[in-house]
Order: sequence, then C-alpha cells, then structure tokens
Amino acid sequence: MKKCLLIIALVFMSITLAAPCFSAEPIKIGALYSLTGGMSSIDTPSLRGAQLAVKIINQNGGLLDGRMIELLSVDAKTDQKAAAIGAKKLLSKGVIAGIGHSDPSFVLPSAPLFQKKGIPFVTSGATLPTLPMMIGDCMFMVPFGDDDQSFAIADYSFKSLGVKNVAVWTDNSMDFTKTLSRFYKQRAQELGMKIVLEDFFMMGDKDFSAQIARLKNTSPKPDAVFISSIPNEAGLTTKQIRESGLTLPIVSGDGFDTELIVTVPGKELANDVYFSTHTYREDPRPEVIKFVEDYRKEYGVAPENAFAPLGYDAVALIADAITRANSAEPKALKESLAKTMGFKAVTGEISYTRPSGVPVKGVSIISVKKGKYSVEEIWFPTVK
Amino acid sequence: MDSGYIAQQLANGVILGSMYALVAIGFSMIYGIVRLINFAHGDIVMIGAFATLAFMETAGLPFPLVAFFVLLTGCSVGILIERISFRPMRGAPQVTGFIASLGISIMLQNLGILTLSAQPRNFSFPDYMQTLFQLGPVSFRVVDLIIILTAIFLMIALILLVKKTKLGIAMRATAENIDVARLMGININKTIMATFAIGSGLAGIAGLMWGGKFGQIDPLMGYIPGLKSFVAAVIGGVGSIPGAILGGFILGLAEVLFVGLLPPIYSSYRDAFVFGSLIIILIAMPNGLLGKNMEDRA
Amino acid sequence: MKTNRPRYSLAFMIIFLVVFSFFMDKTANDYLIAIVCFTGINIILAVSLNLTNGFTGLFSLGHPAFMAIGGYVTALLTFSIQKKPLFLPDLPQWMVSLHLPFFPALLVGGCCAALVALMVGLSVLRLKGHYLAVATMGFLIIIQVLLNNADSITRGPLGLNGLEDFTNVYWVAGWVVVTIYICWKIKFSSLGRSMLAIREDEMAANSLGINLFYTRSFALTAGAFFAGVAGGLWGHLITAMTPGSFSLIMSFNIVVMVVVGGTGSITGSITAAIIFTLTNECFRPLEENFGIYGVGEIVMSLILILILIFKPSGIFGTKEPDFVMGKHKHQN
Repeated sequence: MKKCLLIIALVFMSITLAAPCFSAEPIKIGALYSLTGGMSSIDTPSLRGAQLAVKIINQNGGLLDGRMIELLSVDAKTDQKAAAIGAKKLLSKGVIAGIGHSDPSFVLPSAPLFQKKGIPFVTSGATLPTLPMMIGDCMFMVPFGDDDQSFAIADYSFKSLGVKNVAVWTDNSMDFTKTLSRFYKQRAQELGMKIVLEDFFMMGDKDFSAQIARLKNTSPKPDAVFISSIPNEAGLTTKQIRESGLTLPIVSGDGFDTELIVTVPGKELANDVYFSTHTYREDPRPEVIKFVEDYRKEYGVAPENAFAPLGYDAVALIADAITRANSAEPKALKESLAKTMGFKAVTGEISYTRPSGVPVKGVSIISVKKGKYSVEEIWFPTVK
Repeated sequence: MDSGYIAQQLANGVILGSMYALVAIGFSMIYGIVRLINFAHGDIVMIGAFATLAFMETAGLPFPLVAFFVLLTGCSVGILIERISFRPMRGAPQVTGFIASLGISIMLQNLGILTLSAQPRNFSFPDYMQTLFQLGPVSFRVVDLIIILTAIFLMIALILLVKKTKLGIAMRATAENIDVARLMGININKTIMATFAIGSGLAGIAGLMWGGKFGQIDPLMGYIPGLKSFVAAVIGGVGSIPGAILGGFILGLAEVLFVGLLPPIYSSYRDAFVFGSLIIILIAMPNGLLGKNMEDRA
Repeated sequence: MKTNRPRYSLAFMIIFLVVFSFFMDKTANDYLIAIVCFTGINIILAVSLNLTNGFTGLFSLGHPAFMAIGGYVTALLTFSIQKKPLFLPDLPQWMVSLHLPFFPALLVGGCCAALVALMVGLSVLRLKGHYLAVATMGFLIIIQVLLNNADSITRGPLGLNGLEDFTNVYWVAGWVVVTIYICWKIKFSSLGRSMLAIREDEMAANSLGINLFYTRSFALTAGAFFAGVAGGLWGHLITAMTPGSFSLIMSFNIVVMVVVGGTGSITGSITAAIIFTLTNECFRPLEENFGIYGVGEIVMSLILILILIFKPSGIFGTKEPDFVMGKHKHQN
C-alpha cells in the first residue's frame, strides 16, 4: 500500500515538474556579439547584460504564458564574415528576433539578412543614425544616434563651458568616430564656435605627443579639445594631454564612457573631462540602481562600460514589445517594437517617433573632476 | 614649427625607438640562430606587461625586484616556446616555423582573453617615476629617461655578451654555421635555449616599459609591437643585433616624425608612409641596412 | 608515362560539384549554403596563393590586398546606377555611369587586382625570403590605409553595403573548377616546372635559362587575379565590404591553409581549405554552449602546431597524391 502511494506521488510530482516543459515552447532570441578579437572588450559586457536580462525575466516567470526566453549567442569574432555566417546560423535556428553588435560595420552584414526574413534586429550599441534607413523596417536601435550625442556635447561645450574656439581630434580608422566628429563640427559651427585645429589619429595608437605638441602651438588658443575616440584611446589621450601640462577641458562622446579615463591618468589628472553618453552612470533612477546591483551580484564586478546596460535593454525592449503584442511572432513583434513609446530602459526612455527610426532618448552629460563622475545635465533632442 | 617642437618630437621618437629596439633585438637574435621568425615574440611583450601588473599590484613587490622577476618570466616563456614549437621544427622549411609561431601567438592571445578578459587595464609605476622635468625645450618624465637608459644598458650588455663571453661566441658560431659549431663541441641545444631566453627576457622588459609608459595594457597589445619589431629587424638586417637596434630607432623616429612633421591630414596615412619607406629601403638595400646575406651561408 | 587518371579525377570533381551544388541549393538552409560558399572561396584563395607561394616559393602576404581590390572594383561595378549617388555622393562622374553584370564585373575585378600585382611585382619581386614577406605585408597595409581614407570611392571605414547577393553555390563551384583547372594546367606545364625549379634553387634555374623575373611576375599576377575574383565573390556573399576585413589576420589564415595542405600541392590546398573552414564552424556549438569563446582558435592552433611538428611539409607535401594522379607517374 505504502509503495503504491509512493509511486503515485512520484508520478504526480514528475508530471507537475514536466508540465511546464510541455506547455511552454521557449522564445528564441539570437545574440550576435564579437566575443573574441578587437571588439571583445566592448561586446562582451553587452552579452553579459543581455544574459542577465534573460535570467531575470525567466526567473520572474518568463513571457506570455510562462514561456522562457532562450538566448542563442554566436561569436562574431570582430570579423564581418563570421558576423554574416553567425546571422545565417541564428536565422536557421528559428529565432524570432536578434540583438547585437556595437559597431555599424558589423550590423551591415548581419541585419539585412534579418530584414530579408522579416525578423526584427535590435542593435544594442551601434549608433549610426542612418542604420534604420539603410536596412529597413526590421532594424531597431536601442541607443541614441551619433547626431544626438554630438549635438548634446556641442551644446554643452558652448552653453555651459563657454567654449568659443575648439580643437577637434578624430580617430580616422572607425566610422563611428568620424561620424561623431562630423556632427560635432556641424553643431559647433551652427552655434558660432570656431574650429581652430583638426587633428587625426588611429585606433591602436599609443603615442599622441605629436598631436599634443600641435595643440600647444595652435593659435588662437583652443578653449577645449573634442576627442572622438573609442574607450581604448580615451584613457591614453587624457593621460598624455594632462601630463603635458595642458588643463583645457577635454570633451567627447560615449567613447569616453569607461573607467579607463580615471584609472589610466590617475585621479589627480582625470580632471575637467566631459562626455555625452547613454543615461545610466551615476543616475539615481530605480531601474539603474537595480541593474547595477543585479550585475554586481551576477558577475562580481560593476558594469564595465555603458554597453552592459545597453545589452540588457535590448532584451528588455524585445520582452516589453512581446508582452504588448501578446505574441512572439516576428511580424507582430516588429509592429509592436515600432510602436514603442516611453519604454523605461536602464539607459533612458525609448520612443520611436521619428521617421528616421532613431529613438528619441535623453543624453547624459557627465563630468569627471579629480576622478569623480557626476551627471551635469540630461539633454533631450528637440523632438521632430 | 620651431626647433623646440622638433627636439621634442625627436626625443619622443628615441623613447619609442628604444622600446622597439629591445623587442627587435630578441627577434633578430632568434632569427639569426635558428633561421625562424618567431611571431609570438610580440605576445611575450604582452606577458611581460601583465606579469609586471601581477608582481607590482598583486604581490606588491618593490620595483627593482619586479623588473627582475619580469625578466625571469620573459626568459621562461621564451624557453618554453623554444621547446614546444621551435625545437621540433628545426630542419623544416622556413615557412613552417613561421606558421607554428603564429599558432602560438593566436593561442596566447585567446588564452589571454579567456582568462584575463579583454578589457584594457591600467597600471602605473610608483609616483616618483611620473614626475615631469625639462631638459631645454624638451619635457621628459623620469619613466622616459629610465626607459632609454635601461635600453642602452641592456644593449651594451648584450653586445659585450655576444662579443666577449663564451656563450656569446657559441651563439655567433651557431648562427654562422650550425653543423661546424656542433663539430667544434658547442652544445647546440643549450646555446639555442640561451638565445631564446635572452631574447624573450628582453621582450618581457619591453612589456614592462610599454605598460609603464602608456599606462594601459590588454591581451591583444602584443600584436603591434610584434609586427613592428619584425619590420625593425628587417630594416636593420635580420640576424644582426646592431641592425635590430638601428632598425628599432629608425622605426620609432619615423613613426613619430611622420605624424609630427606632416600636416595633421596625413596622420591617418602614417602606416602607409612607414611601410612605403620600408619597401623603398628594402629595394635599395635588399638585405637591410646592416644585414649580411645569411641565406647563402652553409 | 601518362595515365588518364588526372582526367578522370577532374571529371569526377566536376560532376561531384555539379551534383553537390544542386543538392545544396535545393535542400540546405542558408547557414549551410553560406558555409559551403565560404569553403569554396577559401579553396580559390588557397589554390591561388599556392601558385605564388607554393609553386614559386614567393613568401607573399599580400593576397588579401588583391582580394580587396578585386572586391571593391566588382562591388562598384555591380552597384546600380540609381543606388550609387545615394551611397557614394562624392563618386566621380565617370565611375557612376559604369555598370556591369556580375560575371564581367568579377573579371574586371580580377584583372584590376592582377594589374596592381604586376606593378607591385616590378618593384618588390627582387627581394627574397622574409624580406619579400615584409614588403608584401607593407603593401597590404598600404592598401588598407588607402581604402580606409578614400572616402569618396569606398566610404572609408564603414565600407560598402547593400551589395546584391549574387554569390550562390553555382557561382562559387564554377569558379572553384576554373581555378583548380587553370592552376593544375599551369603546374604541369613547362611554366609550372620553371616555377618549381625557381623554388628549389634559383641559381640553377637561372643558369638553365629560366627568366626569373617573368616567371615570378606571372606567379604573383596569376595568383592575384584569382584572389581578386575571390574578393568579388566574398563581397557579394556578405553583401558588405570593409577595409578592415582584409587584414594581416586573413593573410595568415590563407598561408596556413597553403602550408598545412602542402606548399605546391593543389590537392593539399583544397583539403586544407575544407578542413580549415569546417573546423572553424564545428567549434562554434562548443563555444556557445559553454560560453568559452576563443577555445576554437586555441584548439585549432594546437592542431596546427601538431600537424607541423609531425608533418612539416604539410599533409600532401609538394606532390599530388596517388589517388588523384594514378600510379607510376613522374611527378613535379
């Protein structure tokens, strides 16, 4: 008798345990990031952010009727060919959406493949404002466009820092940095600032003594220097400029959003640096605080750079769109994404109201004074 | 453009050149003795840089001791590479050894990313090294001076070693004609091992300097010094130590001066200019500046 | 003593490719087709580099530069006239009006690459061994820098995108056959024998009356032509082209395929290209499931080193294997 009861109990337990497996088919989302190669320091935090989001959503019961999200991650190896193959692989696995990439030159081989199949692709980190126009209605951006962030820091330079003459340094080896400079110069000239010096360098450069010497010898003297670079050169340029004795403000875009601008020069020299970035660092919003806490708990370190919350937001955005559409079909998901309004992401509020498809998001202007980060203001684009 | 500016640029070129020279020497020594290009040489620089970080911050050792341990680390890694990859390749076609060392380079880089994470890290030397001082129109930091002095010291020590000591004579003999050297009773294996050890030790120290000068290191940082040392060694004539030193300084100066003396627009063409000049030098002097035609020997 | 084996091998290969392509096209998904296409492109690259490096012994690292030239030229030619002004507003007018269908565009791309190779060869081919390696490496970097900075023609670092995805299994298979056939013919002709002679002993070859310069030039130029075509196929498979893809890393990958397969052996290059491409993909599931990215590269490097330790002249050495050539054959 006892044995019978035991067996019945066990069978019951196994059925209840197995039941979720029967009812819920996982929602597959593909993640394309460069986890090896030159972009890995930027993309790996994005993947971690995305995985964190998936974990939390699944812990809270998944989406729709208890369906779990399955994040399929493929390494793009900082190589276009691998990115294209990776995209095809994910598509052949039946993903209902894709996320990934922090640079447009990897979005360009991958996203059109998604567009062709009608599957939405949400980039977490590529900020080229013409991406949705170039690729199609399946292309969605989590971050703001380079135009917005450049305008933001240009406005700040003029209005708050009182800059009239500015020197512009551009990393000529990346499209992101060239685009950033282009928009900064455009806005600067609209505001009446004068560009007194234009200098160039390349990603991977370590020594900026020539550029610094030219900076010192320019006349009229620049009130600030705008450095368009990615994190790898951010710390190096700041350190060398300050070490040479120059105290003029250094301004930049989200390429400067990294610990390196404080750790490499040291707290004393990390002074008078201002940059525009995704709204999350030092931000008191509850989403941000929760994210930083969860990230710390999961990975044991603070988010390495802004790309971590961006990856998180990509997944969260898709999850939100799925919930609103009450469906995980790619077509419905695409339409739901396009209607996103006021989604409270960790990196700011996302709304797709413009015809260009670039989200209307706030831009944080962050200052670094003696090694301390603080949010100076939040800039909003005049909504078109 | 005044003379002060040019002087400063020259100084920067010399500093950069010393680092390239240190790496190029090791590279050239190894080529001279086993006729194989060690593509993993640049990654030894990376290992040296990370070892410096480990010894300085994790173990908290005083600076001179750190330098000593980094030298040892470089030597050990070099010996390891020689044993695993180069000894079995002796006698194989040249390209084979090159590819094998490339494999090791890829392995080291990916291991670095896997275990240390790809994020760049900072490290800084003790504060007294960072102080700025002026020498006429040129501003230096103590660290820069130490780099140049150490490089010169090591180069002189190496040349003395090669010319005066028994080991040095053995190295030169083996480089010139490995079979006759063996007949003369020289222990080839030990000599080659010593060459690798010394060359890699120098690379390790170069890593320490690189990290100290720029303040930032990451697992992929070895790629560029490795490539540049290859180019520097070739400019000076592969297999020749004075050639490597010369090549290193020429490369360092060329890089800085191209960016420094030409209008800013051309800064992005820097690599093209440097390599273009390299090709011209090679066409004019096919064996490099100080090289001997080693291929025809033995 | 000539056997008909090689002819049968060739016929077999062609039939196999036709059947395989048809099968792939109808049944396989996009991912598998892409892998097959990349394998084919790698075969073209390896075999053509073998012509330069393997047969003639020229240590050239410039192959990706020729790919890039061929690729960009092909892309600019296949871009429709309406699209060009949108993507490249500063393109010179004479370039805007040029438009060719895929096949002629590939040919033009290949020829441009070959032309550049000819010019480069004039200056660089007198160098030997590792010096040639550095010079070709320098050439590669120069081309990369030029492509990166010629914004009006190439759009700089962003590169070109929106290329038509012309490349399919049939195109790739077709070019694979053409490449293998031509390189095979070259190898077993007197020109091919001259090349091998130069590789073995230059002075002896010279004293036999072989014109070193012409032969080496030919090797470089012919290899470059196929690299250019491969570049065009590549671009139209990924539908995008950036200067960054044609890097030293790609150069090494191709050299690895040639060395592992056996410098001088066409069968070797084919085999190595297939193994290389497939193993790369095979490691993906392992990496993805355990989150240990980069392990694939590490293991591949280890395998590479092991192969080189135990078989330093590559899998097939410098000869074509017996099953392809037939017995009692005088080779080389």
